[in-house]
Amino acid sequence: MPKNSRWYAPLCTLAIGSVVAGAVAIGHTWGDALITEVVTVVMSLVYFVVTGRDSDVGAIYGQRSDERQQQVRARASRLAFVTAISAAFVCAVISVALNESYWQADVIVTAGGVGFLFGIGLYGAHDERPTNFDIGIMASSAERDHEGSSDDVSTTPDAEAYTPKGDG
Amino acid sequence: MLSTLYIMKNDVREQRRQRGLSQIDLAAGLGVSRQTIIAIESGKYSPSLPLAFRIARFFNQPVESIFDPEEEELGA
Repeated sequence: MPKNSRWYAPLCTLAIGSVVAGAVAIGHTWGDALITEVVTVVMSLVYFVVTGRDSDVGAIYGQRSDERQQQVRARASRLAFVTAISAAFVCAVISVALNESYWQADVIVTAGGVGFLFGIGLYGAHDERPTNFDIGIMASSAERDHEGSSDDVSTTPDAEAYTPKGDG
Repeated sequence: MLSTLYIMKNDVREQRRQRGLSQIDLAAGLGVSRQTIIAIESGKYSPSLPLAFRIARFFNQPVESIFDPEEEELGA
């Protein structure tokens, strides 16, 4: 599917809604499943209309967002995440108070928390070894191995410049 | 808790008008949406460094003549 596609959101909605309709057919009646599928198709059509609009919503759902719209999307996603986790937490508290099963809310909160930490690991800036560490201590070490000198580490300016925190 | 955005002043609207361009023309030339041009011109959005340089190159001006580095703090 092309990146700039009006079909992405409608087709995703259709696929997800059809899965839900299938579950409804198994657990309930075929009539209920048919209603679910009709609602899904209508929602998909609405999404298709929205993705064609010249607006932020249209661009985001239509897979053609620019940098500002991606920022808008990220901030909206953060708000949605906080809202969903808060709702799951409230539902869990109510379920516990009513002495009912709360595993669904537990799964949502746990999955959200794990996803958040995974996102930080995936998108966050990683603490890399300083460049002068590589060209200083390590290079000096390699040279020392090669040349048999023992003074490189303590005398090179690069090695002195790198002082790990917590070493006093 | 809401974050704080720092918005830089800019001269994009004046530069565009001097050249007789519409916001749609500028958006097409820069490869961004019309809404983003509106947001930049109204000072609601500071473009990324690559986009700021694209804007400067588009107007054939140095980037510091279009964007004022003195920040205005906005509560978001």
